[in-house]
Amino acid sequence: MKPDDIATAITQALIQGGSQWVVSTIVAFLPVLWTMTLVLHLGRPYILRTLRRCGLRLGADIWWMSYLLMRDALIVVTFAMSWIFFLPNVVVAAALPITGSLATLCLLLALAVKLSRRMDDDLQVYRLVTVFLVLGATLYYVPQVFAVEATSQSYLAGFVKAFTSNTNQGVALTLMWIALAGVAAVVGWMFVRAWIAASRTMAPHEELPQPQSTPSSREPLPNVIQ
Amino acid sequence: MSVQDLTNAIISGINAGGEQFLEGTLAAVLPILWLVLIGLHLGRPYILTMIDRFTLRLGADLLWLIYVALRDLLIVSGVIMSFMFFFPDVIMTDALPITGGLAAVALFAVLLVKLTGDPDHSLRDFRRTTVLLGLGALLYFIPYVLGVQASFSFSPLLVTNTNPGLAVVLAYVSLALLAVMGAFAIGYALKTGGRAEAREMASNN
Repeated sequence: MKPDDIATAITQALIQGGSQWVVSTIVAFLPVLWTMTLVLHLGRPYILRTLRRCGLRLGADIWWMSYLLMRDALIVVTFAMSWIFFLPNVVVAAALPITGSLATLCLLLALAVKLSRRMDDDLQVYRLVTVFLVLGATLYYVPQVFAVEATSQSYLAGFVKAFTSNTNQGVALTLMWIALAGVAAVVGWMFVRAWIAASRTMAPHEELPQPQSTPSSREPLPNVIQ
Repeated sequence: MSVQDLTNAIISGINAGGEQFLEGTLAAVLPILWLVLIGLHLGRPYILTMIDRFTLRLGADLLWLIYVALRDLLIVSGVIMSFMFFFPDVIMTDALPITGGLAAVALFAVLLVKLTGDPDHSLRDFRRTTVLLGLGALLYFIPYVLGVQASFSFSPLLVTNTNPGLAVVLAYVSLALLAVMGAFAIGYALKTGGRAEAREMASNN
């Protein structure tokens, strides 16, 4: 083998191996994100209990704001990182949980519910989001623990084969396309909803004459100025 | 050996080495995490003494909130980083403390007590969390110090990849306990709807 061949092999290995490494790192990191998402969502009563003991409104606001930011940003980040479940080549080539795409759809449904309803004020909405998150986490954890990370267990061989994406490619791709259709539907609904909401709230302001459009111009002026 | 063989060999090396490096780093960080979170839990009287000395309420509030956030986020991080103890392939490949999964269960139990109880104001709940943290630390550090990091005659018994049969059984037991506690936490969240006053309401009813 010539030096050029070795250089070619190393270059190819770094490119292909690097991409596989990125995918496997995302897959390894997703359980962390899922668990954190669940813990922060379920830990709401504890956060509220701590918040009530703050002596000052500022401390309580900082606490609640930090909690909300972390909780909701984590869901968005988890959804974004789960996008690998919608890449057909990756699903076929890498060992991924076969229901990972459906888990991602559940995550998006939880986000959509949060976007359209006031989860922090409505008991039923909180419960609905909890159901979506738990369902999604179950769809992710079960194949991840008992299939993707259990190839060394001979008695789980059937389960491993059935629930890993690259050993059951037909089902994996079918589930992926179904989930992708679901994602498209939910995103489409969110888009239309945002469009209508913006049309409702912003259009009347634009149609009104300029002086009346600002709240201050509608208020009576102080006697000194009049 | 062809160019493709060499390429494949390097790819395998990168992936296997990278994975083991990641798991090894997590395993190396976990003892530090355990020590810090136990230190923060036991350091509660010191924080309370400092809070009493504040002349401004804002400073006291911020110190307490930062302390609580740091302490509890570290416990959550401990549970998350211990997830590798539940993966059969990982525990059979890497040298990890054999009862690490049970230690993670104890940490999760601490979170459950914090969710359903009030360890910062109820002595009973505080004692529960202290006992669980102590138990978890013992379950982690005994096999880590005497097994993973030592070469006694009994050391292989305390390490996952030299005692894989017991390690996998303990991983499944830990998973089952975690599932039961997780189901309890979900039931609690569904019942209370995420409200803080649910416990008081339930006791009033």
